[in-house]
Amino acid sequence: MEFKLEAHRIVSISLGKIYNSRVQRGGIKLHKNLLVSLVLRSARQVYLSDPCPGLYLTGHPGAPALPQQPGDSVAGPPAGWGEPPPPAACAAWPEPEPQLELPAVPEVPRAGDAEPAATVTGAGDTLLSGEAEAAEAAWRRVEGPRETAVGGAGVPAGGSDVFPQGPGAARRPCGWPPGDEDKMSASPRVDGCRAPRPAGPESPVPPPVCPRKRGAEGVGGGPSDCPAPGSTPLKKPRRNSEEQPVGAAATAAQEEEEMETGNVASLISIFGSSFSGLLRKSPGGGREEAEGEESGPEAAEPGQNYCDKPVLRDINPWSTAIVAF
Amino acid sequence: MAGAGGGGCPAGGNDLQWCFSQVKGAVDEDVAEADVISTVEFSHSGDLLATGDKGGRVVIFQREQENKSRPHSRGEYNVYSTFQSHEPEFDYLKSLEIEEKINKIRWLPQQSAAHFLLSTNDDLRINLWHLEITDRSFNIVDIKPANMEELTEVITAAEFHPHQCNVLVYSSSKGTIRLCDMRSSALCDRHSKFFEEPEDPSSRSFFSEIISSVSDVKFSHSGRYMMTRDYLSVKVWDLNMESRPVETHQVHEYLRSKLCSLYENDCIFDKFECCWNGSDSAIMTGSYNNFFRMFDRTTWRDVTLEASRENSKPRASLKPRRVCAGGKRKKDEVSVDSLDFSKKILHTAWHPAENTIAVAATNNLYIFQDKAN
Repeated sequence: MEFKLEAHRIVSISLGKIYNSRVQRGGIKLHKNLLVSLVLRSARQVYLSDPCPGLYLTGHPGAPALPQQPGDSVAGPPAGWGEPPPPAACAAWPEPEPQLELPAVPEVPRAGDAEPAATVTGAGDTLLSGEAEAAEAAWRRVEGPRETAVGGAGVPAGGSDVFPQGPGAARRPCGWPPGDEDKMSASPRVDGCRAPRPAGPESPVPPPVCPRKRGAEGVGGGPSDCPAPGSTPLKKPRRNSEEQPVGAAATAAQEEEEMETGNVASLISIFGSSFSGLLRKSPGGGREEAEGEESGPEAAEPGQNYCDKPVLRDINPWSTAIVAF
Repeated sequence: MAGAGGGGCPAGGNDLQWCFSQVKGAVDEDVAEADVISTVEFSHSGDLLATGDKGGRVVIFQREQENKSRPHSRGEYNVYSTFQSHEPEFDYLKSLEIEEKINKIRWLPQQSAAHFLLSTNDDLRINLWHLEITDRSFNIVDIKPANMEELTEVITAAEFHPHQCNVLVYSSSKGTIRLCDMRSSALCDRHSKFFEEPEDPSSRSFFSEIISSVSDVKFSHSGRYMMTRDYLSVKVWDLNMESRPVETHQVHEYLRSKLCSLYENDCIFDKFECCWNGSDSAIMTGSYNNFFRMFDRTTWRDVTLEASRENSKPRASLKPRRVCAGGKRKKDEVSVDSLDFSKKILHTAWHPAENTIAVAATNNLYIFQDKAN
């Protein structure tokens, strides 16, 4: 469990570093970014291989909690991802973290999903399903503006081969403070345009105008402190029409979501795939996922399940984030 | 100030009594980025000492002639010349800023017939330049993959063999060293020798790859050995044995449990250098808190010393320092948590013929001598 937490923290820090390297003087440092990618890969492997994840670190939410989708749920992340946790292991959830409340979660319908939502079968499973779907929905909204983000954020410094998607001058997306790599991972701040918003299920990424405006404060103490989910400050989410799970559990889920996807998701949406040769075992795996996500956004509004790939439905935001990266 | 004289002494790092000799640079607490020293190198005779800084300036110090009235004291190093070597450049086409930082200074051998220069600023290529042909170079190593997404390692350091001008080594971010012979093929993509130590599985962590990246490689003066520096250790390799180093010296093993924090504050990416003494009996490298370490290869003893203004009284002996890794801290020990990671010694140089060392501490250059000199 603690390995997962550390992996989580390390991934956050790593993504912050890669972001900062794009805006620093001198451009991208190839060697350092290569090393950071290696760390990301190690953290990812730990993350995916740990068979008994914590509550908010789901492996296969589809397997135990959504029995109506047996056909869609694949064995795991796409090939080349390392060993996926076996569904059986995930079915029995470990004790919830003491700080976290676990009331029953009402059904969380997937927007646009024709299948019925998960039945509430028990506290653990329920939280699992609600969590997973909420998280998944939030992640999909992140994916929506990704195209815009990708197009604008690139810094084609010396590593222009490496980060091919960034034409034009260095541009720091609004919401990210200058420099300061150390603080970046701790709690990025949103400045300028919009009021800060957490990246919870109730508060999806705003319309594609400014996708990088992720809720900074929601991350709270930040991954560097690795606070327990229950201790992150509670943000009043901005309501978007579709997915609005109610109740304390949803709030708890949202807090966890903030911790995971707040800054990470937007960073990932900016970076696209780089050094993907390091991050996937099979050459085709990562690329497919990236394409799958990119093809979705154009077709759908935020909040809808426009992603066709069944695999992505079952992967929680962290895995998806790693895929995207 | 020159060090005091003393009795005769053996060679090696540990039987010596190191004394403060000189310090160059501003005392100001606020260090300008441009003033940070980025390379230090003695000339082949040791009479000249060059430093380069991040601002693109080179300062050359020359040793004064020995003072006849004080025969036991060595001459001081005083500024001989200063010039702006590099200016910042901006490549507008690629939106790429080219730093003016001086990465390396190498003195040309005065009497050698070799007129070649090895340049390895590139992560992916090593080029060979003829000194009289400045518009093109010969590419001898190229590890750039066709698809950059398949990049898995970069070149981190390279050096010519001191005696065999056709032999060079280069190190990689994966902790491997390749020795190439330019006579065997034009493009040295295939190495003659490949040096790699198997990873210890028990010490595996998220940061294993980072800390195994080689930051410096140096041939011994004899040409029989080479030394590599990675984040936590210095390794001496026998050129005839590729499977593992013949010696491994721990520089600051107490940092192994702090790697996550060091990753967060970027210290884990610090590139420490290392150097041999003239007789190859001792090696030296830097650490944090303005500490530097010397290892005597014959007695297998090591010492930690500090470059600080407090110890900068004329002829003051340097007291060995100790870092307390855990448990009860003894008097005079420094605990790991109180180390100042902003004070790092990345660049050191050892006089080729005597026991005089130059240690770069951020923007200050310290010169220490053996008391017996």
